[in-house]
Amino acid sequence: MTRRPGVLAAGLTALVGALCLLLQDTAPFLFAFPKTWTIPTTDWVGSVLETILGAIKPAMRWFSWLIAYPMDGLNAVLNGLPWPVLIGAVTALGWHLGGLRLALLGLAGFGFVLLSGYWSESMNTLALVAVSVPLAMIFGGTIGILANEAPRLRNPLLGVLDAMQTIPTFAYLTPLLLLFGFGPVVGLVASAIYAAPPMARNMLLGLERIDSEVKEAAIMSGATRAQQLFQVEIPTARHQIMVGVNQCLMAALSMVIIAAVIGGFDDIGWEVLLTMRKAQFGQALLAGLVIVLFAIVIDRLSAAMARDRKRFNSRISFVIFGIGLVAGAALYLTANTTPPTGLLGPVAEMVDEWLSRFTVVNATLMDDIKNTSMFYGLLPLRIGLDDAVLPFTWGFQWTKAMSLVLFGISALTCTALIWLGKPVVGLLFLIGMGLLETGITNLPWPFFLTAIGSLAWVASGRKLAILSVCLLVTILVSGLWERALLSLYLSGAAVLTCTAFGGVLGVVSANSTVVWRLLRPVCDLLQTIPLFVFLIPVLMFFQIGEFSAFLAICAYAIVPMIRYTRHGIVTTPPEMIEAATANGATTWQILRDIRLPYAAPSILLGLNQTILYAFAMLVIAALVGTTGLGQSIYLALGQADVGLGVSAGAAMAILAFIADRLVQSFAEDRRKALGL
Amino acid sequence: MTLSRLCLATLLATGSAHAAELGAVDEPIKLAINEWTGQHVTTHVAGEMLEAAGYTVEYVTAGMMNQFQALADGDITATLEIWSSNVSDEYAKKIDDGTVVELGDLGLDAKEGLAYPAHVAELCPGLPDWQALKDCAGVFATAETLPMGRLVDYPADWGTPGAERMAGFGLPFKAVPAGSEGALIAELRAATEKKSPLFIVFWQPHWAMSAYDVQFVDVPVGNDDCFTDAAWGPNPDATMDCGFSPSRIFKASWSGMADKWPAAFEILSNYTLAVEDQQPMMGAVDVDGGSVEDVVADWMAANEAAWKPVVDAALN
Repeated sequence: MTRRPGVLAAGLTALVGALCLLLQDTAPFLFAFPKTWTIPTTDWVGSVLETILGAIKPAMRWFSWLIAYPMDGLNAVLNGLPWPVLIGAVTALGWHLGGLRLALLGLAGFGFVLLSGYWSESMNTLALVAVSVPLAMIFGGTIGILANEAPRLRNPLLGVLDAMQTIPTFAYLTPLLLLFGFGPVVGLVASAIYAAPPMARNMLLGLERIDSEVKEAAIMSGATRAQQLFQVEIPTARHQIMVGVNQCLMAALSMVIIAAVIGGFDDIGWEVLLTMRKAQFGQALLAGLVIVLFAIVIDRLSAAMARDRKRFNSRISFVIFGIGLVAGAALYLTANTTPPTGLLGPVAEMVDEWLSRFTVVNATLMDDIKNTSMFYGLLPLRIGLDDAVLPFTWGFQWTKAMSLVLFGISALTCTALIWLGKPVVGLLFLIGMGLLETGITNLPWPFFLTAIGSLAWVASGRKLAILSVCLLVTILVSGLWERALLSLYLSGAAVLTCTAFGGVLGVVSANSTVVWRLLRPVCDLLQTIPLFVFLIPVLMFFQIGEFSAFLAICAYAIVPMIRYTRHGIVTTPPEMIEAATANGATTWQILRDIRLPYAAPSILLGLNQTILYAFAMLVIAALVGTTGLGQSIYLALGQADVGLGVSAGAAMAILAFIADRLVQSFAEDRRKALGL
Repeated sequence: MTLSRLCLATLLATGSAHAAELGAVDEPIKLAINEWTGQHVTTHVAGEMLEAAGYTVEYVTAGMMNQFQALADGDITATLEIWSSNVSDEYAKKIDDGTVVELGDLGLDAKEGLAYPAHVAELCPGLPDWQALKDCAGVFATAETLPMGRLVDYPADWGTPGAERMAGFGLPFKAVPAGSEGALIAELRAATEKKSPLFIVFWQPHWAMSAYDVQFVDVPVGNDDCFTDAAWGPNPDATMDCGFSPSRIFKASWSGMADKWPAAFEILSNYTLAVEDQQPMMGAVDVDGGSVEDVVADWMAANEAAWKPVVDAALN
């Protein structure tokens, strides 16, 4: 990037910011966007959608009727088989794919499901996943191929994939119900929508990465385009595609809870919801762990399937399966097929009692943690130093003079940074200071639009700047601006925290295998367990409110930061490190000067995933009483307001999209600078 | 058991009891199972009554908010415990369409109001009188609400009755929406265990009323004058300076039910359940860990006089 747009952008942002401050008292509309300026877009969206929905409803109902067949069939089979047969089959498959380790994993995983007492609910869930995953794979795969075949469609399709991943399902639950009718099919479609994007992305990536020689060979042997694609290119890309299948599975399992929110069949997610409603942590954890174990077993088995490794002795597999079959037959003959219930119940109660004791013993500590974080972290970020610094929080009152000093310092620093040739850093510093002083929710909208536009301009160019500003304006006129800022504040705080802590954890686990071995299962757990489960202890420690919501978002969004940071550092080419060692660099110097710069693109990708996750979690955060866009989505559900739900969902997607594209553009610069 | 407890009065008053056809006995009647135990009890009692009349019943899990589309399509035949305090607007739309019909009141006597777990009375002397709260706001203050006290209101999608009351009474409290029922219960549980201050909006019948010894704050009884006329009540400058308007709890069915299962439609229309019956069953499930099926079966066996007449009236 050249220097001039940076200087210009920083100057413009500073100017608009200063103007807004000067006009603070005379023009209040700069701060609170006037209601009269908003357009009833949510109503328009609602009526347009309802017309479309009415038109395609018959076709969708037919689809719904059709898809119910395989699901009911599978359900009948899984529930009809005596449990030893299924456990035997999974264990046998585990042995076949990965020997003793995977066989034991399969046995332990499905054994836990049996002991949890939720066998039949779990089988219902499994039937749902077994139908939604192929559906998502076909859907996602088709999008991936389409994006590859028609380059002009590529960028719009990628945008659609982003939206599919960030617009929360709750936002379009009402239309889905109308289209597909009540029942598990809605959950199935919702989870397919969410699970398709990873499949599409990996399909596209796989096809794009194929060597040109391979493609040319296929063309020279006279294959038609379809033959090239299905007989040469897709088989060649199968490794990347298997990664997609794997990610697709994980995503589908994490959406199981949505199917339960609608209801229609008695699955494991419903149990989580019931226990969550009673604040029974132990029981909710027990039900939630069933989903985690399904995820882990299926993940490890499908990962093993993706690897071209020798298979283990199939005779032993047959023996294992045979044992399961015989045991199943024995149970069947003795008419003893009902799976045992409640064996782990006492354990769940113990966990629950432990939670109670922990809450009581650490009550003061928890209050201190919460108050400190609120007073010195979250509140200044939300309402700014000028409102958050009060005698009974910080011990003194914030004054106008302090604001002026702060602005003076930041203007000087920004000028100095621009003069030093770092306009981007200067611009970021200026925006950051403005934000800290007034707070995210009090930011004047002209300043916000200019700041984002300038950043986009500097990061990528005019196109992104115009697009970002236009998208933000749609939120502004739709009347959701205040809620959007609240959401931005909560997600922003979570992203900042996750970046700092996740980054450090990532660096530590890159340097110590012991730490990573401990941390990895925690990461798996956090990503697949329905987060409803963790809301209970968080609420008991910290009460309803922003701090609890903040923690819930962090718990989910920190995982990609840890994973990608570690991955980036671990994969630094050894020859780079050897060269540095030969020159006498210390471990610390290698980390700072070689590993971290090399890992920067990967870390930035992790940051991007963290951003998407943080926005996706806003809906769950609303369950602990936040008032941003997430709450609008529940309000829309309660009022059966299709327009409001979809608009609020779209606003979330827009914020995530802009944050994501900004980070990606900076990452691209970085990658180019490193010559990667 | 006394008959008066149940619906005999309704029966006599409306005189709607007449013999009806059974209808499609070979097809199961699908009853919605929502997310809370009281509703499970209500529904299973109704289900057993239908079975006693010779029907087959299927229990279908359904989210409270999302069940009305199913009801309109006939995918669910009836849902038996709808609270007017948190019914989704979807319901009104379906009633207007004529795809869903109301089956009358369930007869559960609900109460909603400002409440607190019993131990809080020690932290704020003067409770349950609402006037005591004027001086106790500091006790309930937290980092987010300072210097005001904190009231945990209903989840936002159920409305904001708590915030309206605080404005009405002019109490220095900030209402925080709970987000979900689970969050409200978690707060209650933690506050009871820690003996910490907590001020909430709550309702009965609910199992937590006894489990956490929840007490209601005494306020002037709510009426239409209070809701519309500022001069009414202790605060001359505001409306809403009184208790909640009593919540209606009612039943609804798919509009095609009356034709398909006439007798069942009549049974469900005349079915009522009292708080004194529902609350012990809820306790037996949530506190003592019994299964809904067993608890309801025991109650049915012991209280035949209470429900049998409704079934017989529809059949004979």
